[in-house]
Amino acid sequence: MSTKTKDAINPESQIQNPKSKIQNRLSSHPSHKVDYTRPIEFEFNGKKYTAFEGDTVASALWAAGVRVLGRSFKYHRPRGPFALTSGDTNAMVRVGDEPNVRPSMKLVEPGMAVESQNVWPSLNADIMSLTSYGSRFMPVGFYYKAFFRPKALWPTYEKVIRNAAGLGYVTTDTPDTYYDKKYEFADVLVIGGGPAGMSAALSAAKTGARVMLLDENPYLGGHLAYERQSVDTKNGGAKAYELADQLAQQVLAHPNIQVELNTSVFDIGYHLWVGAVKEGWTNTDPDSIQNPKSKIQNPEARLLKIRAKSLVAANGAFEQPLVFENSDLPGVILGSAAQRLMHLYGATPGKRAVVLSANRDGLQVALDLLVAGVQVSVVIELRDQPDSDLVTVLESAGVPVKTDSIVTKAQGNKGVRGVFVSQAAKELPLSPGGIKAIRGTKEFVICDLLVTSVGWTPATGLLYQAKGRMDYDEQRAEFLPAHLPPKVHAAGRVAGAHSVKAELLEGEMAGLNAAADVGFGKGASKKLQNEVAKLKAAEPVRTSALTYIPGGKKSFVSFDEDVSIKDVRDSVAEGYKSMELLKRYSTLSMGPSQGKYENANTMALCAEANNQTIPETGTTTGRPPFTSVPLGALAGRHMEPVKYTPMHDWHIARGATMMNAGLWKRPEYYGDPAAEVVGTRNSLGIIDVGTLGKLRLYGKDVPKLLEMLYTNKWSKLAEGGVRYGVMCNEEGIVSDDGVTANLGGDEWYMTATTGGVTGLYQDIEWNLQSGWDFDVHAVNMTDDYAAMNLTGPNAREVLQPLTDIDLNNEAFPYMAARQGTVAGVPAILMRIGFTGELGYEMHVPAGYGLYLWETLMDAGETFNITPFGVEAQRIMRLEKGHFIVGQDTDALTNPFMAHLDWAVKLDKSDFLGKPSLVRIQKRGVEQKLVGYEMLDSNIVPEEANQIVVPNPDRPIGLETIGRVTSSRYSPTLEKSLGLCWLPVDQSEPGTEFTVRIRGELHQGKVVPIPFYDPDGKRLKS
Amino acid sequence: MILIDCPNCGERNVAEFRFGGEYNPRPQNPDDPASDAAWVDYLYLKENKLGVQKEWWYHRAGCGLWFLAERHTKSHAVEKTYFWEAAK
Ligand SMILES: [Zn+2]
Repeated sequence: MSTKTKDAINPESQIQNPKSKIQNRLSSHPSHKVDYTRPIEFEFNGKKYTAFEGDTVASALWAAGVRVLGRSFKYHRPRGPFALTSGDTNAMVRVGDEPNVRPSMKLVEPGMAVESQNVWPSLNADIMSLTSYGSRFMPVGFYYKAFFRPKALWPTYEKVIRNAAGLGYVTTDTPDTYYDKKYEFADVLVIGGGPAGMSAALSAAKTGARVMLLDENPYLGGHLAYERQSVDTKNGGAKAYELADQLAQQVLAHPNIQVELNTSVFDIGYHLWVGAVKEGWTNTDPDSIQNPKSKIQNPEARLLKIRAKSLVAANGAFEQPLVFENSDLPGVILGSAAQRLMHLYGATPGKRAVVLSANRDGLQVALDLLVAGVQVSVVIELRDQPDSDLVTVLESAGVPVKTDSIVTKAQGNKGVRGVFVSQAAKELPLSPGGIKAIRGTKEFVICDLLVTSVGWTPATGLLYQAKGRMDYDEQRAEFLPAHLPPKVHAAGRVAGAHSVKAELLEGEMAGLNAAADVGFGKGASKKLQNEVAKLKAAEPVRTSALTYIPGGKKSFVSFDEDVSIKDVRDSVAEGYKSMELLKRYSTLSMGPSQGKYENANTMALCAEANNQTIPETGTTTGRPPFTSVPLGALAGRHMEPVKYTPMHDWHIARGATMMNAGLWKRPEYYGDPAAEVVGTRNSLGIIDVGTLGKLRLYGKDVPKLLEMLYTNKWSKLAEGGVRYGVMCNEEGIVSDDGVTANLGGDEWYMTATTGGVTGLYQDIEWNLQSGWDFDVHAVNMTDDYAAMNLTGPNAREVLQPLTDIDLNNEAFPYMAARQGTVAGVPAILMRIGFTGELGYEMHVPAGYGLYLWETLMDAGETFNITPFGVEAQRIMRLEKGHFIVGQDTDALTNPFMAHLDWAVKLDKSDFLGKPSLVRIQKRGVEQKLVGYEMLDSNIVPEEANQIVVPNPDRPIGLETIGRVTSSRYSPTLEKSLGLCWLPVDQSEPGTEFTVRIRGELHQGKVVPIPFYDPDGKRLKS
Repeated sequence: MILIDCPNCGERNVAEFRFGGEYNPRPQNPDDPASDAAWVDYLYLKENKLGVQKEWWYHRAGCGLWFLAERHTKSHAVEKTYFWEAAK
């Protein structure tokens, strides 16, 4: 070997420092992301290993000689990393209590406990791998076919499948934690921090645009970071990794560029709403972002929600695996994976290698392996005329380069022990799919490493999500962007630019154009655009149209889901001819890697099986997530708001059991609800009704508004009066109810249901803003007022000393409203009573709520005042026969069905729902809401129990004719009573019916309502 | 999450808004028995158009304006938004 050749293949000789030599590691080098001076201890399957800071789980274990990290999903075949990227999902591991961790992305931390997944009973003796020998028993579509029927057995099947095919397990004793999310904004969002992405970020930032740059790795540089050859840029030559560092320094120093590393984009939504997960650490020191040695650990991932104004996808390409028999064996790795191992982590990929090459990248990898001290037995070249400059160097180093050749099969048990190579048919590469003939004798070459470099698949998944269209370039055998939506750009390998010079220039162009989209600069010059087009056109083809080697049985297209070539062909033969159907039936590309390393091969196979071209077959729609996302990151923090009334803490201090009322919390009861009812009816009770909807209405046309909103009449309601009303929607369905008071001086006060008020307010606004030409202003005061109801026969006696309002029955009768002060607090008082007793509902500014409540509690002490909750309120309202909108009514209930005929005034000129109610009244109703009592007062139906009649034609001999909607035992009347729906002809008082309660039949009887104080004497007293 | 351009506040995330359905004015003289079909149409028969649809939006977490938007139901491109007066 000449000195010149030695230098060419051993550039390290000049910078090598013998003192830094570590066992199982290559000499340290500036391109390394590991720091040999900082060893880290960690465990894999209980055994201790040493890693170095900057190592991933995969790189540390590989350097230690561990290649098998897990077992495959279906056949439990041994699997290890083959790409050293986020796509190594078939070797996912468990780290601590986190399952499904991608080993090539997870950085080793001190004391980390890593376990393999999907192995039983252990990684080395996996019983399920026996299924591999019986793979004819698990044909494609296996889960559909085998487990479809009988349906009743599904729960059993599911358990078995889960155990056999599980992807890790979840522990339930993990402490509660949450992932936070962060909202980000960018004028130009650049995805991918390789040469194209960094170039795009810099050119966009120089126009003044605010740029955000994301990369899934903990460093910038993309493929440059793991390459050491000289590359050609417009500013001359540089070593790839040096160029990466130079660009990274410019990017990190630029004030307009925000860099987020360890950040994977999984979703591009409409209007460039981009979802990304940032994992690992955050580093606040911009100088050291490039250098993971001084990292600060951040234990959780963060969800980033980014609104971008324009976007540059520069997220590169996946190196494409070739499918052949046993190509899934640990030790069969991609060329870029070998470079990552050597150049990022200093790990020796193997001892004896065979390189399968179909492009310049493959020959370069062979040289890189030689430099790292790996014996390269042979380079198997698919091409007939490989790059002669590199071939010369290889051959002078004693490495034979066999052109027109292929690898047909890998051999080995838990790793590669050798490969079979053959001469291939001359007309290689054939398009699409496979080759027609294998010539010559098979030769077995011993090796522990097979490195394949046969081409690149542009990572267009995100561009599909952004509604881009890709077209198949027959010559380059790549799907390349053909039409991108406005404000979406692509640059670099994802767009088919492979040389660094083309990537940099295309990045620059895309950055300028993206900035111009949002008003920064004038966009890329014609000259630059032409230059990019020229460079790209002149580039050699990098991707072989050959995607698989025929003849193998265990030739897996999908490692994620163990789908073989045969499975694809069988699926097509069974009629699943389109990619979309094939994918669902065979589960191809539905695994954790989302098809990153299998889509291109699947398409070629599908096309071949259909006897179509690849463009005819077409691709599948790109759907989120593009990359696997922790569910916790999507769930985020529990952010549902909760509303508390001003008296909340008082209720809690009094031991109230709280319940939800929409967003609010309300006391359900303080003790015994029946005692709360008796205390109120006999003397005095008080309830917090602050959750009621409350609207203030101002203006001279409020009566007109009320006439339109409610079904009953309002124009004659005098100042100081309160009226109950029902509202319907335009379908004539009861939508809300409540009371409204005329406060005088064109001021009105409306209450509505807790759940309905928000929608009601918005609907009022809609009408006022779109045609109801009323002089009205509506203000939603729900959260601004506290409200409480003091009720019971002694309410007047307790309240009168506290207020300047005359509470005398003549001065302030039932259904009247007054304004004044109570305990010095400005208040609106309404004499209404859902309890059926004398009562004053008081609305005061929220800040006075607790003060007034406590004052009333003190004042009521001599009358044994009873605070009561929702349960007692429900009993009392039911004793009065009042229905609750949404409980006793549903989305089909009109007022005529709910005995509200009296409140529907069809002689009004118009109101919401009137046209429907006019028609409904003509048609009549079939069901009615009525009051009932049970013949046996000890039997209390459950709400929603069915009212039935015998019918021998029905499954249990019963037919449902109605249902119970409210049911309570009345402590006042000592009866079991409630409201129920019955057919109109069975709704007359006295009619008996049968209700089915927990499987037993019981008798009830329709009775008139109200049940309690039917004349309202107590209410009006 | 799409963006909606409130005529008062500008472009905001759709989560700030309530969708109010297709622009569908109430028929004249709806009580008239002769308008049965028009009333049913108003209540139940939505156009459910593929293309640019005129529709109601309410800026609930913003200024409280009900306004009209012309939005493409497939691409979600919001072509214009305006006050109700302009829709009459
Ligand atoms: Zn607004």
